[in-house]
Amino acid sequence: MIPISYNLRNIRVRKVTSAAAAFGLGLVVFVFASAMMLSEGIERTLGRSASPDVAIVMRKGADSELSSSIEDSKVGIIKADKDVAKSSDGQPLGVGEVIVVIVLDKLGTNGVANVQIRGVPDNVLSFRNTAKIVEGRAIKPGTDEVMIGKSIRGRFRGLDIGQSFELRKNRPVTVVGVFEDGGSSFESEVWGDVETVRNSSGRDGIVSAVRVKLTNADQFDSYKASIESNRQLNLQVQRESEYYAKQSEGTSLFIRVMGVLIAIFFSVGAMIGAMITMHASVAHRQREIGTLRALGFSRTSIMLSFLVESIALALIGGVVGAVASLGMQFARFSTMNFQSWSEIVFTFDPTGEIIVSAMILAGVMGLVGGFFPALRAARMSPIEAMRG
Amino acid sequence: MMQLLKVSARNLMRNKFRTLFTILGAAVAILAFATLQTVLSAWNAAAEHSAKDRIATRHKVSFVITLPKRYIDTIRATDGVTAATWANWFGARDPNAPDSFFATLAVDAKTFLEVYDEIEVPADQQRAWLEDRRGAVVGDVLAKQLKVGVGDKITLSGTIYPGDWEFNIRGIYKATRKSVDRSQFLFHWDYMNEGLEGRGKDQIGWVISRIDDAKRSADISATIDKAFDVKDTQTVTMSERAMNVSFMAMLSAMLTALNVVSLIIMLIMALILGNTIAMGVRERTGEYAVLRAVGFMPRQIGFLVVGEAFVIGVASAAIGMGLAYPIVEKGLGRWLEENMGAWFPYFRISGETAAMGMALAVTLALIASAIPAWQAAKLNVTDALRRVA
Repeated sequence: MIPISYNLRNIRVRKVTSAAAAFGLGLVVFVFASAMMLSEGIERTLGRSASPDVAIVMRKGADSELSSSIEDSKVGIIKADKDVAKSSDGQPLGVGEVIVVIVLDKLGTNGVANVQIRGVPDNVLSFRNTAKIVEGRAIKPGTDEVMIGKSIRGRFRGLDIGQSFELRKNRPVTVVGVFEDGGSSFESEVWGDVETVRNSSGRDGIVSAVRVKLTNADQFDSYKASIESNRQLNLQVQRESEYYAKQSEGTSLFIRVMGVLIAIFFSVGAMIGAMITMHASVAHRQREIGTLRALGFSRTSIMLSFLVESIALALIGGVVGAVASLGMQFARFSTMNFQSWSEIVFTFDPTGEIIVSAMILAGVMGLVGGFFPALRAARMSPIEAMRG
Repeated sequence: MMQLLKVSARNLMRNKFRTLFTILGAAVAILAFATLQTVLSAWNAAAEHSAKDRIATRHKVSFVITLPKRYIDTIRATDGVTAATWANWFGARDPNAPDSFFATLAVDAKTFLEVYDEIEVPADQQRAWLEDRRGAVVGDVLAKQLKVGVGDKITLSGTIYPGDWEFNIRGIYKATRKSVDRSQFLFHWDYMNEGLEGRGKDQIGWVISRIDDAKRSADISATIDKAFDVKDTQTVTMSERAMNVSFMAMLSAMLTALNVVSLIIMLIMALILGNTIAMGVRERTGEYAVLRAVGFMPRQIGFLVVGEAFVIGVASAAIGMGLAYPIVEKGLGRWLEENMGAWFPYFRISGETAAMGMALAVTLALIASAIPAWQAAKLNVTDALRRVA
């Protein structure tokens, strides 16, 4: 075997071309890893909104909270089922909420975007116990106060503590608090009192969906059967996790497909770059290769040596790209959720898996890019090669 | 000059493998660039091709809150409005394919096609539609997707307006403008309204008006909004173009990302090109020294190097765009138009994108060759000759 230090030194000798090739590969890895991290972030954000023991009840046929509506009279029946857990004071654990999408000016652009407003009952913070006020205070029931998710704070006109915006004419609501919820999609919402929200949007007497906490996650099937079998209610029951998985499908798939497509385009380009570099490096070292052969190194070890060099070059680029992509976790990516038509803010989530697959991508690019040049090096006749 | 360019081209032929792969790599980059830019321009198509003499009125606070139907009369009576129609987002799905998305709009059949004159329905089909309360008109792309033809019955399930709704397909429309979504399902608002009770009844989603003078769109919009300002439900009116543009803000992060990515890809292309040129220069150091020794000027040597880059740039631009047209327009574009027509009504490479791709390829090639060219030109003749010997 030719020692690896020989290859590493070679990369160093040809500083500029090596750096250019490695940089190209690094860019590919960067883009690939970033896209995967974003897709991960989307799934996590929407997935984290769900608890395993929570069921969401919507009108039959509705495909999202936004399109669903349930009369107040049914909310009691939905919550009264035996499978619904009760709080310490004997009240059923459930929330009937109303969802409205409003248009606000998006700061930093000339445009507007939809923001989801959730009208919540006063027990919402005890029902969603992962949600916590991080600044200001919770809203008082029956007032024109709202609290906003951490992610959309400062992204729209009127969405910061002390500021206000109009839900309807002469009905401004004031932001009194900011909440967080472990990075879930609720952080892209505005929460106001349920009466205030439905009153100003002309939806008195109806809610969009009802969420209930079940006594046990296993009770889901029994609860579903009991609600759905009541034809009069005309309702459908889903696990919250299923609901959010379906909501995230489109957006996440889109980003993933985009990411993979771009990565394919990029890696073809970068592989060709690596191939050219390796090819030149083989051509340049003709005499060296001849000498190595004459010294008794086999064709296989020559081939291996050049492959190792190419892979090493690619991995150097890969590390640079992967490290740079880790910086993306401080970036925010806001886009339209294709299901709710409203703005949702995502983060880039690095996982070990993504970094490993990015490095594998780099290695494969090095392998493929180096294959033909290495083959050429191995096939050289020692005598001709030494003659130069 | 031409002679030198010919020498440059000949030089490239000396290492066919390297030249071929460089051109290929750069061509792939240009292909990717063209694809990404086409995604961007497809999104912008709705805004760019929107009619200038149309304004849209919606609820002031939200797109999902409806307006009282009587508002249409006020708008029609506004000075400058020549025609007005309305539509409601119906949000139905095909029960056989609940995951496929298309727009279902409940429209005022009598006036809708008058305001949207870029939606073309054959006259006999249009008459049949007007006469059939359950009649519907679908876009040619959607007709294919739903596998329906004129005269067929179809049942859709409502997501916002519950229940099963039966329709008779009475016409298939074609678009005469690129911005038209060819996968819409249009049916009578009256049919929907009759099936509703209580609060949902006699409500309309938004109003689209045609105005007599595109220049007055801001004035007319202001007049309309002022008329409703004192009412319970306020409105926002703006030109169709402004409405579409403002909506692009929702995708702004995506648009930025795609722009950044297409810049990165051009950067990678420049790296590959620069690398190849630099290698060629290094190999030919001796020759350049000889050329200098026999009297060639430094800038002529530099030109020789830049010429190589120019030839590669032009060749890869031609090949890249040559690949892009069949792949984007025949393959990807057709698929997107047929399957995601709601998002990409018109997915074609614009002349602008093609020109920009070519120009960028050549410019970047020239820039990438700047350093090697400079190095070759400032070559110290005696040193270089000695190195060879």
